[in-house]
Amino acid sequence: MSDGPLIVQSDKTLLLDIDHILSDECRRAIAAFAELEKSPEHIHTYRLTPLGLWNARASGHDAEQVIDVLIKYSRYAVPHALLVDIAETMSRYGRLRLEAHPVHGLILVSNDAAVLKEVTRGKKVAPMLGLQLDDETIVVHPGQRGFLKQALLKLGWPAEDFAGYVDGEHHEISLREDGWKIRKYQELAAEGFWHGGSGVVVLPCGAGKTIVGAAAMAHAKATTLILVTNTVAARQWREELLRRTDLNEDDIGEYSGAKKEIRPVTIATYQVMTTKKGGVYAHLDLFDAIDWGLIIYDEVHLLPAPIFRFTADIQSRRRLGLTATLVREDGMEGEVFSLIGPKRFDVPWKEIEAQGYIAPADCVEVRITLTDEERLNYATAEQEDRYRFCSTSQTKKAVAVALAKQHANDQVLVIGQYIDQLDQLSEALGVPVIKGDTPIKERERLYALFRSGEIKCLVVSKVANFSIDLPEATIAIQVSGTFGSRQEEAQRLGRILRPKADGRGARFYSLVARDTIDQDFAQNRQRFLAEQGYAYRIIDADEVINKN
Amino acid sequence: MSTAAITFADELRARSDQDLAMIFQFRPDLVSPVPNDFSSLAARATSTPSLVRALDSLNLWHYQIVEAACVLPEPFKKSELIAVTNEESATALDYLWQMGLLYKEGNNFRTPTNLKLLIGDEPAGLGPQSVGKIDFTKLKDVPKSSLDVLAKLTWGPPRGSISNIKKPGNAIGWLLENNILVALDSHTVALPREFGIKLRQGKVHRDLVTKPSNLEGKKIDQKQVDLAAIANVSTILRWCEELLHNLSDEPPTALRTGGIGVRDLKRIAEHMGVDEACAGFVAELCYLSGLVVVDPDDQILPTSAFDIWLTKSAEERWYSLSILWLDTSRASGLIGKISDKNIAPLGPELDRAGVSLIRRTTLKVLIENPEISPKIESLQEIVKWWNPQRVNNDFIFWNLREAEWLGITGQGVISTFGVNLLNSSETLGVEAALPKPVDHILIQADNSAVAPGPLTAELSAELGTIADIESRGGATVYRFSEASIRRGLDHGKTGEQIKTFLTKTSKTPMPQPLDYLIADVAKRHGRLRVGTAHTYIRCEDEGLVQQILHDKKCEHLRLRKIASQVLVTELELTEVISELREYGYLPAAENASGVLLSQPNLRRSKSRPKPPRIISEFTAPKEAIVLAAVKTIRAGERSRKVEPIIPGTSSNETLALINQYIDEKRTLVISYADNNGGVSNRIIEPISISLGTLTARDETTGEIAQFRIPRINGVAPSLTISENKADLGL
Repeated sequence: MSDGPLIVQSDKTLLLDIDHILSDECRRAIAAFAELEKSPEHIHTYRLTPLGLWNARASGHDAEQVIDVLIKYSRYAVPHALLVDIAETMSRYGRLRLEAHPVHGLILVSNDAAVLKEVTRGKKVAPMLGLQLDDETIVVHPGQRGFLKQALLKLGWPAEDFAGYVDGEHHEISLREDGWKIRKYQELAAEGFWHGGSGVVVLPCGAGKTIVGAAAMAHAKATTLILVTNTVAARQWREELLRRTDLNEDDIGEYSGAKKEIRPVTIATYQVMTTKKGGVYAHLDLFDAIDWGLIIYDEVHLLPAPIFRFTADIQSRRRLGLTATLVREDGMEGEVFSLIGPKRFDVPWKEIEAQGYIAPADCVEVRITLTDEERLNYATAEQEDRYRFCSTSQTKKAVAVALAKQHANDQVLVIGQYIDQLDQLSEALGVPVIKGDTPIKERERLYALFRSGEIKCLVVSKVANFSIDLPEATIAIQVSGTFGSRQEEAQRLGRILRPKADGRGARFYSLVARDTIDQDFAQNRQRFLAEQGYAYRIIDADEVINKN
Repeated sequence: MSTAAITFADELRARSDQDLAMIFQFRPDLVSPVPNDFSSLAARATSTPSLVRALDSLNLWHYQIVEAACVLPEPFKKSELIAVTNEESATALDYLWQMGLLYKEGNNFRTPTNLKLLIGDEPAGLGPQSVGKIDFTKLKDVPKSSLDVLAKLTWGPPRGSISNIKKPGNAIGWLLENNILVALDSHTVALPREFGIKLRQGKVHRDLVTKPSNLEGKKIDQKQVDLAAIANVSTILRWCEELLHNLSDEPPTALRTGGIGVRDLKRIAEHMGVDEACAGFVAELCYLSGLVVVDPDDQILPTSAFDIWLTKSAEERWYSLSILWLDTSRASGLIGKISDKNIAPLGPELDRAGVSLIRRTTLKVLIENPEISPKIESLQEIVKWWNPQRVNNDFIFWNLREAEWLGITGQGVISTFGVNLLNSSETLGVEAALPKPVDHILIQADNSAVAPGPLTAELSAELGTIADIESRGGATVYRFSEASIRRGLDHGKTGEQIKTFLTKTSKTPMPQPLDYLIADVAKRHGRLRVGTAHTYIRCEDEGLVQQILHDKKCEHLRLRKIASQVLVTELELTEVISELREYGYLPAAENASGVLLSQPNLRRSKSRPKPPRIISEFTAPKEAIVLAAVKTIRAGERSRKVEPIIPGTSSNETLALINQYIDEKRTLVISYADNNGGVSNRIIEPISISLGTLTARDETTGEIAQFRIPRINGVAPSLTISENKADLGL
């Protein structure tokens, strides 16, 4: 029995002891086939999933290698049943192949007639298939490539896709590394994506996902459609691309509520893509407007359902998804994987932090005791109003103001969910507020003032959850949120993770009303970050007040 | 009793003590109970059940020799048998004689009665003996078309059907005419045995399989095997624990026929993270070991034996499971749906004769082929050679699967632990091979804790009360939550104790959120108080409540005030009411549905463990028993010599006679049937009769014994004692 760093559990999780001398070597070995599930301080958890094993097959690993790695690094004997299961699962991959046929277009091929028979019997699969050419070949209806792959995956017979990608219309793009250098992990991420053809890259907020996108474009050297969450983000992408690549202003178009430009590189917002006119999605044609060679989905964890459906249609185009937190409270992670592509790159947040590319963060939960009157009102409130009630209490407001004043010399963001609460805070602190109805122009002006340091503090609603680049923000005070959303918590922390010029750490305050539902939600919200190794510190609101 | 059996008995009588002992060794069923004399031994040895057992224990070669012996006309010479088989058969013949499946008449052999019946009319696929004249020279002239017919019938079955015997067609017609075929009825023709053997070139079997084939399979290093096996061992022990804890948490209700229902099994399997076949097997193992029982009220619950089992070492726990599995006649592989019928674990339908025999053979083959992970087909073939009559490919498949689950094998190869178990070694080596228990955990900021190895029993029990298990295997991942901490507090721990325990046990510092979580829950815990009371008294008039509470007469009601208007007591409602009325109060009863009774945490059945019975195979008896048996038969034989044949008497006669002899104080001989149906003569001095039982002094033992009147077949006055003794040669 070796004294390895890895413990293989019978529920197919792998526990990696990161204090072990071989842990780095082992991490690299298992990353090829296991999904990183969480990475707290001492023991990281990976999981073996069919999808992960199939991806490993796709990138050239076979079952024997996987089993060897497990046995080599395992501290205890590996359950035999698990090894058998791995071999069986991996042998399922590639029995079905999708190929391009000169006459019939897309075909489904298998050397195993029984498997082919089994899948053609599937209720979901049958309508996507056409004429059976021979025992081993069936024509696939055009446009069904994505749906078919998804359906086959569900049946447990993933198809290996040899049908290839269209190159799209050529457009010369390359990185312009003047005064900056692409980081190692960014390069690895872009290469991992390019090698795999399509897929998702998971990097922490502030770790420079835009550059990964730019590097991917430089690989593709083709016209690119970039889908982002909102207009401000679109403009940031534009600026970043101008700075990092040799694209010029005319190459890049914005396709949003305000402008409808179509250029070799077009940045569109999810919102405009899903706008309906007369019951139909008016702008989905954009997908066909140019022979795109690459489609980039920013913040892919937010991908709205109509785009999902449309994405299934464009399986022959290369797709790159970017996100910091591939957790969806709606459990649609699986759809993202099968439609955009599997996870091609993932790295624990703490590792990037250790390399100095994101700022170290101190997460603090401030426990607030409601007054007796507030407690009584809370107790008698309707179930659905309770969260709003406890998270917007007056006591909380006082603590938030006190905290903001303590950090008067830092760049502070106060983030909340409820508009009237934000308005009150803005008034109490005497600072501007950015919310849904703030015009884009005004938003950009305020962000610019904040970046330059002329404004020290901003009160923002959830419009600032994503993609807003505020490099010098060091303090975030979260007063309320979208219930127990884990990814929102992570994204909000992400706002302050850009490394600071003077190397200062960031601090994230989450204000929580004690003994209420707020506390339960907070616990759920913090889970993703806790699993990424961010240990929350808890302090009492009295400490904050007394400090003043 | 037929003449043959008596002759068989005579031959048995003539055998040496050593040879007799051999019979008992080979056919253990004959010693239980020990037969009284040689004729009953012969009768028993030729009884169908005993013969079937004996045939079942033969390997394919020996069975083929029995077939060959049944083919030959009796008595037959050794040389005749060798002629139709091969030279090696001589040793097989001796073996069969020792087993008592053949007996000698001079230098020739005979088969005991019933043996041919069991082998069937067409041994080795040969037809009936010819009644007509046999002329082998005719075989030379067989026309070509008839040759095809003969080719079809030669290797059996020796019968063929035709539409009409009157118009047989040319090919068959020629054969019938020349007596090479005989007509059995108007539609069937058969090839007579003599011609069959002739056409088989004078042999009975095409292939006489004198030894099993070699086991095919993949070679695996024993070290790998033991590693895999030890993983299996720790897994099965964990499975048992999980299953039993789960039964304790949510005891399923047994089916009407006994056993765990489909839905419950599915739920248990899901909980354990295994398939239903495996969950069923684990349930059966626990059942065999008496760790789980079906309660009289049909709940399926762990027994207190489980708590004891938990305190034992892993090796002892594994041994207790495995050793019972080796012998059980319950085939867990049957669990599930079999042609519309559901067979339930713990149910009554799992017993299959022969399953443990096949299991032993399978393991024997594995032990003989170390470091080989067998191909199932090859293994099945070899097991079939050893037990051609009992073989069942499903049994072999299930046995292999179960051996793997148990860790008797690892990757299909017999493990060191399995070998030790089967050789009844002193230590099995399990304890040494299992990873050493760890005595610490690592707590992480996401409120989880990892025990990086098997925890000591004490720690795991302690942690189990304050945290939920999230993942199991070599390590265990625990998660702390509000509910789990509350459970710990419910178990009587305080927040401080939990913190101290975790700080002491964890190698990593306690994260602050967990600290807060424990403090928060501890602070809220117990703010609401719940208790049990049998009866309450409530009254809006607080003064009256006070009055009752301080009323001397009511003291014995042991009333307790829990609120200004409420008193409670442990006494029954009716009692309280009648007492209060007696003391002049005017109480009225209330519907008692508001009373809450909390359930105990660990539920255990109150019944004793009742493991299922095992249809055991007879194992070879101990030498002492065999020797005693031989001695008994010889002695019985001697006493039989002096036994007068006692005329049968009816019950009334018997009663009358015995009463008469009691009065006369005479010694008499009775013919008495014992519990096993064996009839023997006893010399007794009758003393009294009551309730259908005769009390008498048994002359042989000198003790007072009870004899049941209905079992006395005959009564006769005995010779005088001195005459008796003289006859016995004393």
